[in-house]
Amino acid sequence: MYSSDDYEQGYSRDYDYNYDTDYGGHTGDPTADSDYSRQHFKMPELVVKFLKYFCECVRDRQVFELQNLYEGTWPKLTEEYFEKRPWPEETDVTAHVKNEPIFLILYKELYFRHIYARIQGGPTLEQRFNSFYNYCDLFNYILSEAEPVPLELPELWLWEIVDEFVYQFQSFAQYRARLQKKTAQELEQLNSSNKVWNVLCVLNVLHSLVEKSNIKQQLEVFATGAESDSVAGEFGRHNLYKMLGYFSLVGLLRLHSLLGDYYQAIKVLENIEVHKKSQFAHVPACQISTSYYVGFAYMMMRRYSDAIRTFSSILLYIQRTKQLFATKSYQHDQINKQTDQMYHLLAICLVLHPQCIDESIQQTLREKNYHEKMYKMQYGDLQEFENCFVYACPKFLSPCPPGTDSIPDDFSKEAINHQTTVFMDEVQQQRMLPTIRSYLKLYTTLPISKLATFMAQNQRNNDGKWDLDKETQSLIIHLLCFKHKMKNIVWSKGASGLDGNFHSGSELDFYIDNDMIHIADTKVAHRYGDFFIRKILKFEDLNRKLHLIKM
Amino acid sequence: MAEAMKQTVASMLKGIERYNPDNLPTLERYVEIQSRENAYDLEANLAVLKLYQFNPQFFNIDITCQILLKALTNFPHTDFILCKCLLNERQLAEEPINQIMYLGDILEQCDFQIFWKRVHSMPELTQRITGFLDSIRKFVCHVVGITYQRIDRVHLAELLGDVDDVTLKHWVKKYGWKEEGALVFISNQDENIKTKNINEKIDFDNVGAIMASCR
Repeated sequence: MYSSDDYEQGYSRDYDYNYDTDYGGHTGDPTADSDYSRQHFKMPELVVKFLKYFCECVRDRQVFELQNLYEGTWPKLTEEYFEKRPWPEETDVTAHVKNEPIFLILYKELYFRHIYARIQGGPTLEQRFNSFYNYCDLFNYILSEAEPVPLELPELWLWEIVDEFVYQFQSFAQYRARLQKKTAQELEQLNSSNKVWNVLCVLNVLHSLVEKSNIKQQLEVFATGAESDSVAGEFGRHNLYKMLGYFSLVGLLRLHSLLGDYYQAIKVLENIEVHKKSQFAHVPACQISTSYYVGFAYMMMRRYSDAIRTFSSILLYIQRTKQLFATKSYQHDQINKQTDQMYHLLAICLVLHPQCIDESIQQTLREKNYHEKMYKMQYGDLQEFENCFVYACPKFLSPCPPGTDSIPDDFSKEAINHQTTVFMDEVQQQRMLPTIRSYLKLYTTLPISKLATFMAQNQRNNDGKWDLDKETQSLIIHLLCFKHKMKNIVWSKGASGLDGNFHSGSELDFYIDNDMIHIADTKVAHRYGDFFIRKILKFEDLNRKLHLIKM
Repeated sequence: MAEAMKQTVASMLKGIERYNPDNLPTLERYVEIQSRENAYDLEANLAVLKLYQFNPQFFNIDITCQILLKALTNFPHTDFILCKCLLNERQLAEEPINQIMYLGDILEQCDFQIFWKRVHSMPELTQRITGFLDSIRKFVCHVVGITYQRIDRVHLAELLGDVDDVTLKHWVKKYGWKEEGALVFISNQDENIKTKNINEKIDFDNVGAIMASCR
């Protein structure tokens, strides 16, 4: 056995093996290529070494080493040798490692994940099926034993197993819904194996992991500040089960969101305080994903204050810790995309529900293209609302695939179109509010009739003629709507994120006394503290650098 | 009856059991009971819609309508939106779901006059839901309660669905409002709705650390 240091040396030493010349003649066609490489592929010595060591680490439960291999070596070797080709087939691997079934399952998990992520054209139907069966093997192994299995994996890997499992289900559902490009043989195969990547099966796995680990009970006890081991049970005491249970809750959050079930999405996270640091919060990608789906569900439930709080808190966290995960590129892309989506969602929420937020988040929204988008939305550009929503929303799914005998059409957009319609209905109902808000901002008291006059003049399509009574009547309806839409449930305490009381959290509020509107605005004084602290630090830094200069 | 069922149903909603279509008849019966007895259980109703989503062959438009109408009775909560998200475009376009969608839309916009006109023009749609009209009046009172300090008496009666004097007095009394001639006094809003000034507060403790580091 060799340590990872030896391994690194070996890595640079053996660098010039004949990789390029071996594969000079590939065709560029991925299917032909994979046949080609299957015949001719001689596994680089380094990869063989890696696999052997990897297998030993799994067997000996060397979590720390596994973490290095998983986060460091695997991506590095992938980039080096498998940028555009799959990792070696199972049969090629078994030639080199001893019979270690669980290692092979884990290897294949990575193997298929790599195909999903990197191979042009995506996985074939067969690969999708095989990946599913491999997950079944993995979860059966973990769940069906009478006692906890002798396996330990790094937390990041456990998170990515659950997250990838849900992702591959999502990917399959999208693939399944695009009937227009399927061959008769593919349709036949889909028809005969409709249990594969079935939504109930995915739910079942996640629920089983939750139950096996007693994670709900653990979180409940943990929330009271006590030691959660007392209720963890035989399985839940093991890190593998505990973390898989926790990540499955987040997996369920994602899955429920993809199916438009926002109530269950939030409910499944009972006893988890999304913003709090805890023993479960070591995987940034998991925390970011959690906040994204929670914030989104809140937005759809018109709980704008909660959505804004959720988004700004995680975006602040990302701003502060950006350097930490900038190095891991494959996570980085995903995090960047989700961050950008959250800024879009936050922008939408702030347009619908203006409210003070942290200055540094506000700063980002003032920059770049966010500012222009917010401006357009404020002026009632419905298309802009829709564009932002479609860009930033999850990839919704219909749980029931279209029958293979339906017209060969693309059904994959149905679910997203529906959720977009629901959201746009809401925006449509609120379309007059920004205009009213902009007038109210100018006054502390304003007679209803006067505002009605403004509103009538604002609409230019009425060739100068308008009826004050009518305008007043419709204005009163809009004012009632304003109050209704701006008073929402806001969470303040309690185990479930669904709890809360009605509050008006927006910065502008008003009431009507007979026919006079009384307006209450929020005035924010300039903040100097942050500014001075930044300048002080900059000055200090400069001063230190000057001292270091040797003349 | 509804109370008695609540426990039974709750056990059907736990974990993976929530997706068991065998529970559907019981859950549907529970919806009917809610309509009849003016009870409400959002979670159970969402579970029904979820089962329809997973098993389109069981989709029951009558039950779905009841669930949607019940969701209307729970305004200002956003239950109606939650239900809508679990259906699909085709189902929403079906008669009479599309009628209920329209009712929900105008209720969200607080256009109560149109709402009442519409409801009265098709009484058969909502009459199976016990207490439907009064539930909507509760929502009207909620909106009036957060909006007005004093409101014109006639206007209030209109918002409540052109109610007669006795009924108006009943609602005024129920919410502890007071009649003042042609106006109804709702509450002293200026106590709650005030201009807020947010000023930065920096005290010595906040800057202690940075001052210490700048020596």
